[in-house]
Amino acid sequence: MATTTEQQSDSADTDDGVLAQWTQGVIGDDEKRSRLYQALFYVACGFFLVTTLFPFYWLLVLALTPNSAILTGDWSLPVIGLEFPHPQGFNPSAFVEVFQQVPFHLYVFNSFVLATITTIIVLLVASLAGYVFGRLDFPGKGPLMLGVLMVSYFPPAAFLIPLFDAFLGNAVVIPFLGIELFEPPRLVNTPGSMIMPFSALFLPLAIFILTTFYAQIPDGLEDAARVEGTTRLGALFRVIMPLSAPGVATAAVLTFIAVYNEYFFSSIMALENVPQNWSPLVGGILSYQDQYTTDFNLMAAASIVGVIPILILVIVAQERIVSGLTAGALKE
Amino acid sequence: MARVSLTNVTKRYDDVVAVDDMNLDIKDGEFVCFVGPSGCGKSTTMETIAGLTKPTEGTIRIGETDVTKLPPKDRGVSMVFQNIALFPHMDVYENISFGLRLRKYDQDEIDRRVDNASDIVQLEGMLDREPNELSGGQQQRVAIARAIVRNPDVFLMDEPLANLDAKLRVHMRTELQRLHKQLDTTIIYVTHDQAEAMTMSDRIAVLNAGELQQIDPPLVCYNEPANRFVAGFIGSPSMNFADGELVDGGVTTDHFDLKSDMTELDLPVGDRVTTGVRPEDIYLTRNDDSVEHPSEVIEARTDVLEPMGDEIFVYLSLDGSSGSSMTSGEASGASNQLLMSVDPDTDIGEDESVSVVLDRSKIHLFDAESGDALAHGIVDLSEATRTMAEAESGEQ
Repeated sequence: MATTTEQQSDSADTDDGVLAQWTQGVIGDDEKRSRLYQALFYVACGFFLVTTLFPFYWLLVLALTPNSAILTGDWSLPVIGLEFPHPQGFNPSAFVEVFQQVPFHLYVFNSFVLATITTIIVLLVASLAGYVFGRLDFPGKGPLMLGVLMVSYFPPAAFLIPLFDAFLGNAVVIPFLGIELFEPPRLVNTPGSMIMPFSALFLPLAIFILTTFYAQIPDGLEDAARVEGTTRLGALFRVIMPLSAPGVATAAVLTFIAVYNEYFFSSIMALENVPQNWSPLVGGILSYQDQYTTDFNLMAAASIVGVIPILILVIVAQERIVSGLTAGALKE
Repeated sequence: MARVSLTNVTKRYDDVVAVDDMNLDIKDGEFVCFVGPSGCGKSTTMETIAGLTKPTEGTIRIGETDVTKLPPKDRGVSMVFQNIALFPHMDVYENISFGLRLRKYDQDEIDRRVDNASDIVQLEGMLDREPNELSGGQQQRVAIARAIVRNPDVFLMDEPLANLDAKLRVHMRTELQRLHKQLDTTIIYVTHDQAEAMTMSDRIAVLNAGELQQIDPPLVCYNEPANRFVAGFIGSPSMNFADGELVDGGVTTDHFDLKSDMTELDLPVGDRVTTGVRPEDIYLTRNDDSVEHPSEVIEARTDVLEPMGDEIFVYLSLDGSSGSSMTSGEASGASNQLLMSVDPDTDIGEDESVSVVLDRSKIHLFDAESGDALAHGIVDLSEATRTMAEAESGEQ
C-alpha cells in the first residue's frame, strides 16, 4: 500500500487523470497487475456462483417457508424492510410432507430408471457409431454423418404426434393410399414409449462426442488388442472405451441429465400423471398443484429432493472425468 | 513355431498397389528381415500376415493352416509395434497378461507365464508399474514380453527399435538376437535400417515398390545382389554405378573401360549395361599390391573427404570437375563420380590427382534396362555366370 500512495503523490504533479494514472500503474507495475487480475478473477467467479447457485437458494427458501407465508408475497427483510428472498419461518417438515402427499419417490424412481436405461442404450449405440465414424473409412461416411447431424436439428415436437399415434397401438397406414402396414404394440404408459424417442433424440450428440474421442486413440493400440486376442468389438470395449473414459462420462452425464429432466414426451406418453403410468419426476412435482391450490413449498422441496440423485451422479462422474483427463499428466 | 508362406499376395488400395504378387516362404525358426525404403510395402506385407489387413488376392499360410481369412487373434501370431502400443490404462502385469486373460487361462498359469516372460526380458520388479512410468527401453521390453507370453508360432516386429535412441537400439538389437536363440521362434522383422537387417537376420527380404527383390542371407544380398536396387540399397555408403555398354572384350563407360571376356554373357555387343562397384573395392594404385585382378588405371581428382575414424570416404571426380559433390548418405549415382573408402592412415588430400584401380573380381554388371544382375565379378565370366545360374536354380 505504501508504494501505491507514494506513486500517487509522485504523479499528482502531472496532468493525468485518476484513471490514466491507475492504468499506467497497472501496465507498469507487476504487483498491481496481478492484484487486478486476482480481483477480476474473484468478480467473475462470484458472478457465476451467484447466477448458478441463486436458484437453489431460492428453492431452499421456498421449501422452508410455510405455503401461507409464500402466498402473502411479502419478502421484505425484518429490520431494513428491503425486499430480499429469505426463509420466513422454518418448516423442514415440507421434505417429509412431499412423500406423504404423493408417492414422490416413485416418480423419482421412474425418471431414474428411464434415464439409466436410455443412457445405457445411447452409450452402446453411440459407441458403435462413434467407432465406425471415428476409426473406419468407408464410402458415404460424410453424408451419413451429415444425416445424423440433421436428425439432431429436428424439433422433437415434430415427432410427437406420429409417435403418439403409433404407440397407442393404431395401425401404421400409408398416407393417402390407406394401406395398412402393420399394427405396432400399444406402448403408451410403458417405459418403452419414452425410452425409444429419448434414445433417438439424444443419440446424435453422444455420437459426436464419442466420434471425436474414439478417433484420437492411436491405431496401434487397437491393432495390438486385436493381435492379442480381441475382435474389433472387443478392442472397442476393452481398450478404446476405457481410454476414452472422459468422453464416455461426458456423453453419459449429458444424456442422463437430459432424460432425468425430460417432461414433454413422458407427460404425453403417460396418459395420466400417476407413477404407475411411468410419469416422470417433473410430473411428480407438478402433482402438488391442483385445481384450487398450489403447494409452492412442497414443489420446491420436491425439486430439491429430485436434484440429489443427479448431484451424487455428477460428483462421482466428475471425479472420473478429472482423473481421466489428468491420468497421463500426473504419473509422468 | 511354424513356417510362414505367402502365395501371390497382392494388396491394392484404390489405385495404389502396396504389395504386388508377393511370394515368400519363411522357414520354421527363421529370423527374416523385411527391408526397403519407406512405402515399399514391407509394413503392409507384415499387416497381411498379422491379419490386420486383408490381402486383395493371394493366400497366407502359417504352419499348415490357411489363415488368409482368419482374424488376427486366431492366427497364433504376436506383434511388437513401432509405437510400442502398450495399453496406457493397464499396469505392466495387466499388459503382459492381456492376451492370456482373454483366452481364460487359469490364474496360476497366467502368473507363471508372466513371471517367465518378464524374466526373459529382465523386467523383474516392475510388474505393478504403469507404462508411462517406464523408460522407452523398458516399455519396449514390456511389449516384447506381452508378445512372447503367449508362445506364438510367429513373432512379428514392425520397426520395434525405430523410436529408441541410437545407443539403446544397438543394445536391444543384441537382446533380440539373444531372444531369438532362446525362443527359437519364427521371427519376421520389418525395418528400414539395413544395419539392423544385416546384423540380426538369417535372411533378408528386400522389397521395393511392393515387389520382392531378393530374399537371401545378408552376405549373399551384399555380395551377390539380384538387381541394381538391392545393390544400391544394401551397403552403406551405397555402391557406385556407372552406365556403359558392352564392347568386344569388355565394358566401356564414359570414364573407364573394363576388360573381360564377355562372350559367356551371351549378350550382343553394344548392349547397355550398368557396372557397379562398392567403395571398398576401389584401390589407390600406390598400394594396389593386394588387388589380384586390377582393372585399367583410372585417373581422377579427389573432391571431398569424409573421415569416419575407421576409414575415409573419398569422393573421386572422374572428369576433373569438382563441385557436384554428394554426401555418402545419398546414392552416388552420378557416373562422373566414384566413392572410394581408404584406410584412415592413408595420406590423401582434397583436390589431388590420384590414380585408382577397381577390383575386377568385385565388379557387378546389371542390365541397364531391367536392372537385373548379369554377373558378379568379371574376371572369369564363365565362372561368374555359372554360380549365378546355380544360385537361381537353388532358389527355385
